[in-house]
Amino acid sequence: MNLPELITLIISVALTLMVFSYILGDRLFFGIATHILIGVSAAFLALVMIQKVILPYLILPLADPDGPGFWLALVPLVLSILLVLTLFRNGIQAGAIPLAFLGGVLAALAIVGVTRGTLAPQILSMLGRFEPGQLMREAQPQWSAILEALMILLGVISVLFVFHHRGQLKAGKLVRPVFLEGVGSIGQIFIGITFGALFVGLFNSALIALISSLSEIIRFISLWF
Amino acid sequence: MKRLLPLIIGALSGLVVLAAMFFVPQGSAILSVVLNWVIVVASVALLVAIASLVLTHLRFIAKGKKGFLLNIVLVVSFITTLVLGILFGVDDPIFLRLVGAIIRPIETALLGLVALVMMSAAMKIFRERGWSALTVSFGVSAIVFLILGLGFLQNLKIPLLNEAIRIVEGLPMIGARGLLIGIGIGLLMMAFRVLFGMEGSENE
Repeated sequence: MNLPELITLIISVALTLMVFSYILGDRLFFGIATHILIGVSAAFLALVMIQKVILPYLILPLADPDGPGFWLALVPLVLSILLVLTLFRNGIQAGAIPLAFLGGVLAALAIVGVTRGTLAPQILSMLGRFEPGQLMREAQPQWSAILEALMILLGVISVLFVFHHRGQLKAGKLVRPVFLEGVGSIGQIFIGITFGALFVGLFNSALIALISSLSEIIRFISLWF
Repeated sequence: MKRLLPLIIGALSGLVVLAAMFFVPQGSAILSVVLNWVIVVASVALLVAIASLVLTHLRFIAKGKKGFLLNIVLVVSFITTLVLGILFGVDDPIFLRLVGAIIRPIETALLGLVALVMMSAAMKIFRERGWSALTVSFGVSAIVFLILGLGFLQNLKIPLLNEAIRIVEGLPMIGARGLLIGIGIGLLMMAFRVLFGMEGSENE
């Protein structure tokens, strides 16, 4: 192992131990490690933003007054100055305009993105299971495919009913009709199954990370013994 | 008037982008210009947020607030990384290796810590929320998928069992699909409210 690798390993083990000190109830070393992470990540993010976005898209076009992008770059320049003003106490109101611009454009992008990217594919994929070609084979009904398609349709509808909060207020408590309550309970089961599967996926990833961190510490110890 | 101008700008910019996306290829040039503006403004917003974070920590240090040692750690690590990044350049392999040597172990260890926290959190769900359709199905699903994740049952190679496993593995997709459609509809409603200046208008 050469010197840079050894230094990297020492830093890595020290930081890992600082994070794991949280298990022993320590807050100082854990705090130091997380604050180092925040500081380094924020600086790295700022550097990347400046070098990859601000310089090529804002500063370079402005540096060339005869260039085609000069006038177009004035708009983000003005909006950026208004945003920077929010750092000062008297300029907080100025940030409303660039934020409104961002909000408006992002809302428009969300409308197109959600309809084309989420709603349409999900609904079409659900309804596509009811195509005759999928449900029938050689003029015979495929009962398992029919059952699966119905289960998916009813499952999705029941999940949507979980978030349906229309009902009557009785003694300060929302009382939903029995039908909605029943369908909502089925939806809750499907949501529970989904969260359970997601939990296991995340848990497995976290467990792999834990093993990786511990093996790093073991590797460091084995260097000395 | 203070609220009217941002509302008009927000609605106008949104409608222009929507129109540009529907009228392709005529609107492509406008869309490309507006998206470039958004990228720049969003990046500047992120830089302002980072600057605000550092200024807040500097203020805490100046006031000598409790726990200011952590504030010093953050500011020093921020300034050191920034200076090194300016000196070496963001794409420099030595700089990237240095940043990676700090960020990677902390992130991995934090994710490892999540495994331990998740175990106690899963137990807490039953204590806090009691036995309901949601908690029971969550618990059963977690156990079933943990067992399926081992791959032992799949290796038995029993056709009927494999078919059952295939159906069980498809079940989370039903809930996920319902949740995605629900979130999509909610997001759509929210976007229309923002676009037509209805969001936050009740606070006036």
